[in-house]
Amino acid sequence: MTTKSAATLSADNNLLLEEPLLRLPLEVLRKLFKSSQRYIENDGKKLTELARDAAAKAPQVSPETSLESLNTMINRMQTLKRKMEDLHEQEKAIHFQSRKRVSHLNDLHSLPAIMDSGYESWSKIRLDRFMVDYMLRNGYSESAKLLAHKQGIDELVDIDVFVQCWNIEESLRNKKTTECLAWCAENKTALKKIKSTLEFELRLQVYIELVRERKLKEAVTYSRKHLSGSFDAHTTEFLRASCMLAFPPERPGPYKALYAEGRWDHLVKTFVSTHHNLYNLPQEPLLHVALAAGLSSLKTPSCHSTLSTRHNTACTVTSLCPICSTELNDLAKPVPYGHHTTSWVDHDLVVLPNGRVYGTKRLADLAGKLGLQEDKIRDPISGEEYEKTEVRKVFIS
Amino acid sequence: MDAIEKELDRLTSRANLSKSIKDIDRCLQMLVAARSTIEADPSATASTLQSLEPRLKAGFHDATENLKDLHGGIGKYGKALDKKFKHTTNENEFDALATQQPLINRAIAMHLLREGNFDIAETFAKETGHGHTVPSTLEAEFKEMFYIQESLRQRQLGPAIEWAAKRREQLEARASDLEFQLHRLQYLVFLFGGGVDGPKKAIEYSKTWFRPFQAKYLSEISQLAGCLLWRERMTSSPYADSIEKESSWQEIVDSFTSEFCALLRLSAESPLYVATTAGAIALPTFNKMATIMKAKKTEWTSQNELPVEVPLPDKFKYHSIFVCPVSKEQTTDSNPPMMIPCGHVLAKDTVQKLSRGASSRYKCPYCPADSLPKEAREIYL
Repeated sequence: MTTKSAATLSADNNLLLEEPLLRLPLEVLRKLFKSSQRYIENDGKKLTELARDAAAKAPQVSPETSLESLNTMINRMQTLKRKMEDLHEQEKAIHFQSRKRVSHLNDLHSLPAIMDSGYESWSKIRLDRFMVDYMLRNGYSESAKLLAHKQGIDELVDIDVFVQCWNIEESLRNKKTTECLAWCAENKTALKKIKSTLEFELRLQVYIELVRERKLKEAVTYSRKHLSGSFDAHTTEFLRASCMLAFPPERPGPYKALYAEGRWDHLVKTFVSTHHNLYNLPQEPLLHVALAAGLSSLKTPSCHSTLSTRHNTACTVTSLCPICSTELNDLAKPVPYGHHTTSWVDHDLVVLPNGRVYGTKRLADLAGKLGLQEDKIRDPISGEEYEKTEVRKVFIS
Repeated sequence: MDAIEKELDRLTSRANLSKSIKDIDRCLQMLVAARSTIEADPSATASTLQSLEPRLKAGFHDATENLKDLHGGIGKYGKALDKKFKHTTNENEFDALATQQPLINRAIAMHLLREGNFDIAETFAKETGHGHTVPSTLEAEFKEMFYIQESLRQRQLGPAIEWAAKRREQLEARASDLEFQLHRLQYLVFLFGGGVDGPKKAIEYSKTWFRPFQAKYLSEISQLAGCLLWRERMTSSPYADSIEKESSWQEIVDSFTSEFCALLRLSAESPLYVATTAGAIALPTFNKMATIMKAKKTEWTSQNELPVEVPLPDKFKYHSIFVCPVSKEQTTDSNPPMMIPCGHVLAKDTVQKLSRGASSRYKCPYCPADSLPKEAREIYL
């Protein structure tokens, strides 16, 4: 009857779903670092150049002109400082946020057991986080913001990153590549590192659209400018793309796939998976992962049984099973049910004449509550009443 | 977690952009100073400008060097994370719920209502394009539930009693004593919180309201009457348990919530909450299973049952489960539990295998009794 070790809480085991909580801010931090590096490198180069120029020209020009170039340098320096300070503010916000997240995870570590009431409230916050994550990934950003705010978990969810991702997704669905190409440019080095084909695919799509509109000259120019550079990496695609010029969309011949509308869906999928990859995010919503595991482990053969008792509100002692409840019942239909090696039943079982089996105590409690006569019992589910002498003992080993 | 916190401390205290910003600011100050020098003494223009380039170079060199600290700090923080989250990537590559968006939306929408987040639920319905089928009356139902819960928390029993009285039959069919418990609490509120007139009010209340419950709850009612005599010394009385306590209010809220949900045919605790919690507890087992199956390149043999047992705390068990002691299989609709004449229970398939034909007697695997297959009868657990 008892389940070994199931009630002890292993915080580390519970962390399986929490990794993105700290991973994502780290990736944002890395991005900030890269931006700052770029700023310092570019502006440093430019400013030393300006200084060299000004020094070289100084003997020939008036002091006013020199002052002017000095002012240009000062302006540029001020802008750089402002940009850096801006990054620093963001950096501080991320530190603050990560600290909050670490302390949220620490809360879990300080709990002794799953049955502890602290675990319940921790798990509730986790569910809120998962719901926000799910909403953001599906573009329900207003609901996500409201929920995060209401539950006070703004620091534990990543609204900005997902909203940006969703906006780019939407622009792709509207057949616009500008936003996504800008994102690629922003993450150029990271994309190169994971050998992403996203940018090539996007460029190819722009080219395909030009060919579709029969703007062949522009298409060729575009291809020379943006596609020919990837010739070595994408030889086949490049050749196919070049040949499709001869086949208009009405007679696509072997190039039907390139003209296909489905390529846009493919681009959306590629972008999202690349994006999540870059931010170290799981590809599927965390809610899916937790829910799929939960549905299976809670589900029993009774949950979708035709003989099930679930449509009877008179099910008294046991609280209604979550899988049997409307919220999850349909959702749980396709998942497998949990495996059990031992029976799980009440003590002292008896069978009623109608074949239903109950624990003796449950029947006695019910009879007491209902104020039945001493020698009567009632079936808690079907409501039938029987003499106590009609029940028989059942043995379950 | 300590290692992570340590690295995070390093980031906030040292490995951040502040040092590089100082370097940049120094360069800026130098340029501004150079401007003042030239403005004050134009003849120094050339010499002042000459000195700028190397100093700027040095300044930017410092800024870049200080960025390396930040880079190192981020790297170390990343390593600390790697160490903590060792093999945490989800092993189940197949997302079984990917195509179930409308049903998940419905589960979320119902969860939001159940938690009383009506405004969020409304926004959610708009954003999902009402693409889920939440019963339309549910919002009103839950609003009523919250109103009554709130009243109970404010020690107002009226709305709850009214609700329960309207549903007396349904509640009785569930063998719920909620209505009586509400009246009982009201009686105690009068008795102990009604000041000098308390006892009088309590007696009047009991006369009006306890009547329908007399038959069933006689012993409790007489106990309540006994409280009248012990009013001043309740703690030392035989009825000490009956006193109105802080916890009795929480109990009545819980009991009300559970009855309310049950009449809606919903479970008392949010199923979404229970399922995700169970899922998080179960996940390590699932990952281990996936790893083993990957390593051995095997598939599940039974598609509709998990291959391993997931250890969950007892409170996550809602149904009786019968595993046939002979075949070790869980019983299902098509293979139900059968009780044989001696009172032992076996799965239907097992009975058929043991008996080898409808007319041959077989021995119970657990006792010396023997019987015919047709004598076994299906039972409902």
